[in-house]
Amino acid sequence: MRRLHSAGLTVLSIAAGLLIWEIAAHDVPRVVFAPPSAVLKRLAADTISGTLPAALLASLGHLTLGYLLAVAVAIPLGFAIGRNAKVAAMADPIINAVYAVPPVATVPFILLWFGLFFEARVALVFLMSFFEILVTVSAGTRNVDPSLIAAGRAFGAGRARLVTRVMLPASLPFVFAALRVGLVRAINAMITAELFFAAVNLGALMKQSAQRFDTAGLLAVIVLLCLVGLAAQEGLKALEARLLPWHVRR
Amino acid sequence: MSTRLGYGALGILLALATWEALGRAVGAERFAPPSAVLPVYLDLLRDGQMLRELAGSLRQMLVGYAAACAVGLPLGVAMGRSRLFDALLHPWLSMLVVTSVAALVPLFILVFGTGFWFRAAIVFAATIWYVMLTIYHGSRGVEPRYLDVGRSFGASRWRTFHAVLLPALYPYVITSMRIGLVHAIRAMVVAEMFIIVGFGGLIYRSGLELSTAPLLALLVTLMIVGVAANAVLRRSARAVAPWYEERVAGAGGARI
Repeated sequence: MRRLHSAGLTVLSIAAGLLIWEIAAHDVPRVVFAPPSAVLKRLAADTISGTLPAALLASLGHLTLGYLLAVAVAIPLGFAIGRNAKVAAMADPIINAVYAVPPVATVPFILLWFGLFFEARVALVFLMSFFEILVTVSAGTRNVDPSLIAAGRAFGAGRARLVTRVMLPASLPFVFAALRVGLVRAINAMITAELFFAAVNLGALMKQSAQRFDTAGLLAVIVLLCLVGLAAQEGLKALEARLLPWHVRR
Repeated sequence: MSTRLGYGALGILLALATWEALGRAVGAERFAPPSAVLPVYLDLLRDGQMLRELAGSLRQMLVGYAAACAVGLPLGVAMGRSRLFDALLHPWLSMLVVTSVAALVPLFILVFGTGFWFRAAIVFAATIWYVMLTIYHGSRGVEPRYLDVGRSFGASRWRTFHAVLLPALYPYVITSMRIGLVHAIRAMVVAEMFIIVGFGGLIYRSGLELSTAPLLALLVTLMIVGVAANAVLRRSARAVAPWYEERVAGAGGARI
């Protein structure tokens, strides 16, 4: 009942928000800010005509490759750092310092090393999701409940068994959190790369819309990206609930 | 503690040595070693343009960041403590927190132009959702026992908020502000690199030079700003909420 109640409020809140936006956008010129009705119309038209799906599909290439590379490197590295006090003490100041540099600031380097096209986009996706995953995994693995490890030891588990049977399952929630945060960042990086390097796919659509002062077109792409991000996040959450039923938040 | 510091220093030395070796191997035009960056960095400091641009950019960023904290913190607390606010705001929060800052830039340029308001607005829009989300989780996690104690001593609603809830929230306020700051600095750089102004513009233009030393010097400056701001917030956390460190340390477990 309470769930139903809050679902109703959610729908109401979105409807109210869209209504306020519609009324607010009604009195300003269309070029300054498009109302949601125009954005939705645009989103539907560009989806049916195939422009948006084609651009999104083409973007998935560098998104997937960059994200998988980041996952493949950052998760083992995060475990190594999180489970070894000496390595962690050595790595922490470096990670903190590098994390403080916005990844977009490395764009000139990426241009220099990888050019303007596919490789550059993969590199930016990798960089933007890598550190997020690394930080989350290393923080998570060092916070494994010591009583779990003590229990494993008490039952006579050796080091190898302790790692595979206790630590790995206990760290999985953090791995999933890292995958989730990393994927959202990777999607952000996907569009960032398309705007900062040679404009292609969704980035090219945005640039064309911006040149025509077409805010409906811009907002249609933004809404699409927002939906993709939400779908990715909720999809991984659902997968986590299925695979790790012992750890479901809330 | 001191051995930890020793390992930290060792880690930094190792990283610098690796950077130096790598830089010498590929050359300054691809990745300048620290020995080449340091003199350029000192020159940039002496010249003054870098610091002027940095001060200007940070001033605009701080306006957006302060506004994001001023609006985001109360809203996040309201969401965490009231089911109604949670149901009303959560859908918008979930949608907007995943939205890419870079994707907002072309839209914000059309709406705000490329001046002061554009940069402040981008920083605001990039920061507020993270501030809200962090304080929301913090305020949901406040021990119900604390509130019960307040209630059994006959505290009014306002007094419970003021004397119990607020102090319990201090650590999360600081954490929210620290996470927000990371995103504020990132948004500042994204916005400025896109329209090539301010410190971000400086970074973009330095990419066109023959040596990568100036570019790396600028990145080191950003690194120092980020680390220093984080340290200041940590310090103020210790001043307003001495139990903060204990809270954070309490989350850390043993290692094998």
